[in-house]
Amino acid sequence: MQIVVDLNRCQAYAQCVFLAPEVFELHGEETLMFMPTVPDDQQERARRAAAACPVQAILTGEQAGPGEW
Amino acid sequence: MPPDTLRERITDYANRADPYPLYAELHENGVTRQNDGSYLVGTYHEIAALLHDPRISSDSRHRTDPETVPRIRREGQSMAFIGLDDPEHDRLRRITMRPFGPPHTPHRIDALRADITRICDELLDGLRDKDRIDIVEEFAYPLPVTVICRLLGVPQADVPRIHAWANDIIASLDVTPGRIGEHQLNAGVEAREAMAEYLGDLSDRRRTAPSDDMLSALVHDSGPDGPLTRSELMANATLLLIAGHETTVNLITNGTLTFLRHPDAYRQLRDEPELMPRAVEELLRYEPPVHLLPQRTPVTDVEVCDVTIPQGAPLILVLAAGNRDPLRFDHPDRFDPAREDNQHLGFGSGIHSCFGAPLARVETQIALNALLPHLEHFQLAEDPPPYRRSPILRGPRHLPITRTSGT
Ligand code: HEM
Ligand code: SF4
Repeated sequence: MQIVVDLNRCQAYAQCVFLAPEVFELHGEETLMFMPTVPDDQQERARRAAAACPVQAILTGEQAGPGEW
Repeated sequence: MPPDTLRERITDYANRADPYPLYAELHENGVTRQNDGSYLVGTYHEIAALLHDPRISSDSRHRTDPETVPRIRREGQSMAFIGLDDPEHDRLRRITMRPFGPPHTPHRIDALRADITRICDELLDGLRDKDRIDIVEEFAYPLPVTVICRLLGVPQADVPRIHAWANDIIASLDVTPGRIGEHQLNAGVEAREAMAEYLGDLSDRRRTAPSDDMLSALVHDSGPDGPLTRSELMANATLLLIAGHETTVNLITNGTLTFLRHPDAYRQLRDEPELMPRAVEELLRYEPPVHLLPQRTPVTDVEVCDVTIPQGAPLILVLAAGNRDPLRFDHPDRFDPAREDNQHLGFGSGIHSCFGAPLARVETQIALNALLPHLEHFQLAEDPPPYRRSPILRGPRHLPITRTSGT
């Protein structure tokens, strides 16, 4: 599974980091880093994080690379 | 009815089960001055803007009339960050976040998942053979209480004491001071003090004998901002304990009620549990646990929708009305568990947006996923159920459900 975070929309609420700490990471207090290709055992967490993002900044797709978004 | 009585009508217990027609009046009337001098806002964009407006304070000391805020602590005690403004709010929130979440502790909430699942399963096991269940007493309340106590490091044996104090504190919070008796108010202040003392003592014990809980981390692992003072720790740990008690219970209960009222959504979520995270966001919009924020005050005159809200006046933001604003959400009165555009106000917004939101989400997602299969042969015993008194933390006091015959 691939994910893309629209960093223009992301407001660094960090909900995703709480819900999927292996996939998303906060550097300092406001910079969000993420793993674009989600390992199999983290997919459910990544989906929960996408659903909970307050500004819906996380896009998930089974095979799509960043270019398709 | 006149818009200047809306606050009175929202507070009126007779409207607790269905306040939504009143919220529709808020949408029509914009910002309204109430006959007691407070200002009510229930439209989405205005609430969101005010929650991001540095001229709006959460510190009740900015009120012109101190009688408009419930008295919750004695002179000289520290204040919890929910009632402070930046930079003090930011400093305390940052120190408290360090042992709770990212960037310093990104795994604590995720690591609670297994515990939460096990607590849910144990509670549900105890209900297996019953024909009548009170969802509040037997499931929705014990779960978050157990979890927040475990997170902070409160021993299981002390949970009943915490529970009793929390009840007194909540009973003393009402939107209109004067409406509840002096006695109830004092019981609330005393319970808060007892809880704070208890947490102070517990953190002292963790100082000498640390464990892997959040209180131990708070006293041992201070970051660049330094540690909390003992008094700050007492006030803010009390805040976490109370917030962890009295909100998630409403979300789980409202979720159960809403699914029992919407059989199609019930079947869909029971069969496709992976849709639950989004459904929980919709519950936070459609039936939020916190209906209004009664504690804001403008520090200077502020104009909103052609109304000037004077400096020092009580400003009440009705989050639950903003969540149903037709100018923001399509079909706002429809429960749509797959709703995509859903930037609800259930956890507030801006600098005070809910600290515990990730924990509340994880708990409620797990709880409802575990509960739904058990509801198969149950129906609501009463609809509407009896509600708690509070118009702020609004939710059912009991949610009795009964087994349907023939199964
Ligand atoms: C479904 C459950 C919950 C709901 C709906 C909820 C809702 C809210 C709301 C609306 C606010 C904003 C208050 C304001 O702006 O004045 C808030 C703040 C807060 N919540 Fe929650 N809450 C929930 C669960 C929790 C839990 C479990 C905790 C503790 C772990 C918690 C801790 C806090 C704290 C400490 C604040 C103050 C944040 C600040 O002032 O910066 N909440 N919550
Ligand atoms: S939850 Fe959404 S807004 Fe928050 S940090 Fe993650 S992507 Fe950004």
